[in-house]
Amino acid sequence: MNLEDDLRRALRRESPAPGFASRVLQRIETDQAPKRRPSWRAVAASLTLTALIGGGVAYEHHVREGERAKEQVLTALRIAGEKVRYAQSEVRTIGSQD
Amino acid sequence: MRKFVIVLTLTLAIAIPASAQRINLDFPGLADRAEEVVDVTLDASMLRLAAKFLGGDDPDEREIRHLITGLQGIYVRSYEFAKDGEYDKSLIDRVKSQLGPTWKPLVTVRSKTKENVNIMADVRGDRINGLVIIATEPREFTVVNIVGDIDIDRLSKLEGEFGIPKITKDTKDKDHD
Repeated sequence: MNLEDDLRRALRRESPAPGFASRVLQRIETDQAPKRRPSWRAVAASLTLTALIGGGVAYEHHVREGERAKEQVLTALRIAGEKVRYAQSEVRTIGSQD
Repeated sequence: MRKFVIVLTLTLAIAIPASAQRINLDFPGLADRAEEVVDVTLDASMLRLAAKFLGGDDPDEREIRHLITGLQGIYVRSYEFAKDGEYDKSLIDRVKSQLGPTWKPLVTVRSKTKENVNIMADVRGDRINGLVIIATEPREFTVVNIVGDIDIDRLSKLEGEFGIPKITKDTKDKDHD
């Protein structure tokens, strides 16, 4: 019996609070109102920011590549120089023995 | 038509030797067996980029920039192995076989106890248009290919100077640590 009472109490019809319908209509009108467009300044600012960030990233990549290329040049010339000098010193040694 | 043939012939005559200066330094599987590998591949555009980062107020770097100006490429493959005989000696001949008739041996050092070095140059008139250095030891195989107009004397002065650290056996051993 208690269960039936509980269900009846829970499912009983209730009238909405006063002003509910007008609040719903007002909300619908607000949602349908045209949205504010971003100003051209905001667009320009965001484009500039994007370009600056993109440029910064590209420049950083360029610098990293350049430094890596420089290190590779130094490594290559170090190895090449070492071998040439060794060969020259061997030739000099043989020359001085003659 | 005759003019076209002459221009084409001249173009090929210039282009073919120029492109032939770069040799194939692809040694499949060798890097896997090596304990230490140095692989440098710098084409003309990378050299130009590196040149922008060399110089400024540093006279040594300016000298290096001057040396690499006019080069079309620098390619180095250097392999150090943990034990003797890890590389096939025929690789030396494979490198040499790629060199055309303009290539002349400049220096050949053969030693049973020390390093063997072959230095070959692509000589065109008074100019050296390319250099190949093959250096071998029982546990080391190194090939350097410099493409372009290179001053060998200036190159030999680089080691231990110009901010390029001199390699000794000790520093190599430290690098391993």
